Amino acid sequence: MNAMLRESTSTGTAPLAAHGLMHSYEGSSVLRGVDLALEPGSVLGLIGRNGAGKSTLIRAMLGLLQPLSGSALVFGEPALKLGDDAKSRLAYVPQQPEALAWLTAQQMLEYVGRFYPRWDADFAGRTLERWKIQPNKLLGKLSPGERQRVDLIRALASQPELLVLDEPAAALDPVARRELLREVALRAGESGTTVLFSTHIVSDLERVASEIAFLHEGRLLLRCGVDETKERYARLWLPASKSAAAPAQSLSRRRHDDGSLSLVVERDAHGRWPEAADLPGARIDALGLEDLFVEIAE
Amino acid sequence: MDASLLTIQPNAPEPIYRQIVEQLRRLIASGQLVTGDLLPSVRDVAGFHAINPMTVSRAYGLAENEGLLERLRGKGMAVAATQRAAHTQVQRLALLEPQLLELARHARELELPPDPVLRRLSKLLEE
Repeated sequence: MNAMLRESTSTGTAPLAAHGLMHSYEGSSVLRGVDLALEPGSVLGLIGRNGAGKSTLIRAMLGLLQPLSGSALVFGEPALKLGDDAKSRLAYVPQQPEALAWLTAQQMLEYVGRFYPRWDADFAGRTLERWKIQPNKLLGKLSPGERQRVDLIRALASQPELLVLDEPAAALDPVARRELLREVALRAGESGTTVLFSTHIVSDLERVASEIAFLHEGRLLLRCGVDETKERYARLWLPASKSAAAPAQSLSRRRHDDGSLSLVVERDAHGRWPEAADLPGARIDALGLEDLFVEIAE
Repeated sequence: MDASLLTIQPNAPEPIYRQIVEQLRRLIASGQLVTGDLLPSVRDVAGFHAINPMTVSRAYGLAENEGLLERLRGKGMAVAATQRAAHTQVQRLALLEPQLLELARHARELELPPDPVLRRLSKLLEE
């Protein structure tokens, strides 16, 4: 499996990088050695089932929790000892924001805006209205979804160089979600913002992500460009009579009740599928990311 | 041309940049886009469809390499001069080949003889 993990980004220039992160809660392992580095201007979609360790990985990468072992760097600085400058260039939206509950949305945005040199007050005001947040309601009285929307506005208005979003889609209706994706896409493409976001809504990720990382049971199963992933992997189906010819190498292998076999296979260096794909009755099916994810995460 | 003329299906197995190139090829082959027509900017396409601008750049770059588009200084991308207003019928039919192969495969899987499939297809084509 390790051959599939790319190590092209040197951790020296990466806005965000993790090396060998391990963590566990109450004796059960959540992260089992994760290496991950983001290139400047890239949009990395982190995908995984509930409980795969996505939030823990994000928190460890940002220095919000101390991992059992391994290290994380933000803008080249140790994540656990971030300076104020690095903090002002970074914005993180947790799944359940809790800070500053005693302020109204408007007060909070005015207050935190002072700490960010590139604060866009216009954007904050405008988006508050568009995303239907009552500006004078206490944050503590907002629903969890509204609370996360306010926090998304805070993160975007600060015009960060590094934007980290933990399951941002859950709080937004389809229209607002599309707006968020548009912001993320354009900022990455035009301002060079580096983005890490976790989600289980794969189609969001397919729109804006340049790369995906599959986190499964505390390990990265796959790290690849979105386009390359779609072009490089497919499902090979072999009828029972040919299943003995299945290639030894595959990302997943499922035998069906009738003896036929489904495998996730990869093109070789020349762009060819494994030889078994040419057998009579064999079939290659292109896979969307969601199908691929379901196949290999099962 | 307007960005809304493109249809993007993010969850299709085909990468978005290929979807864009394929649609440009069809729009040009059918004569809906003609030589000199300006394409929407990368930003417009990315913004309209909420997709990564790099994906759009990649599609435009590929279309430029294939000779479908050319870069006009200061104006952006336009349909290339070498493109005939409409391709020959053979060329246009060739663009339909992947869908036809797919259709043939499904028909075989369903063990349908060619006749009823062709009759239904003719009907659809006449609509």
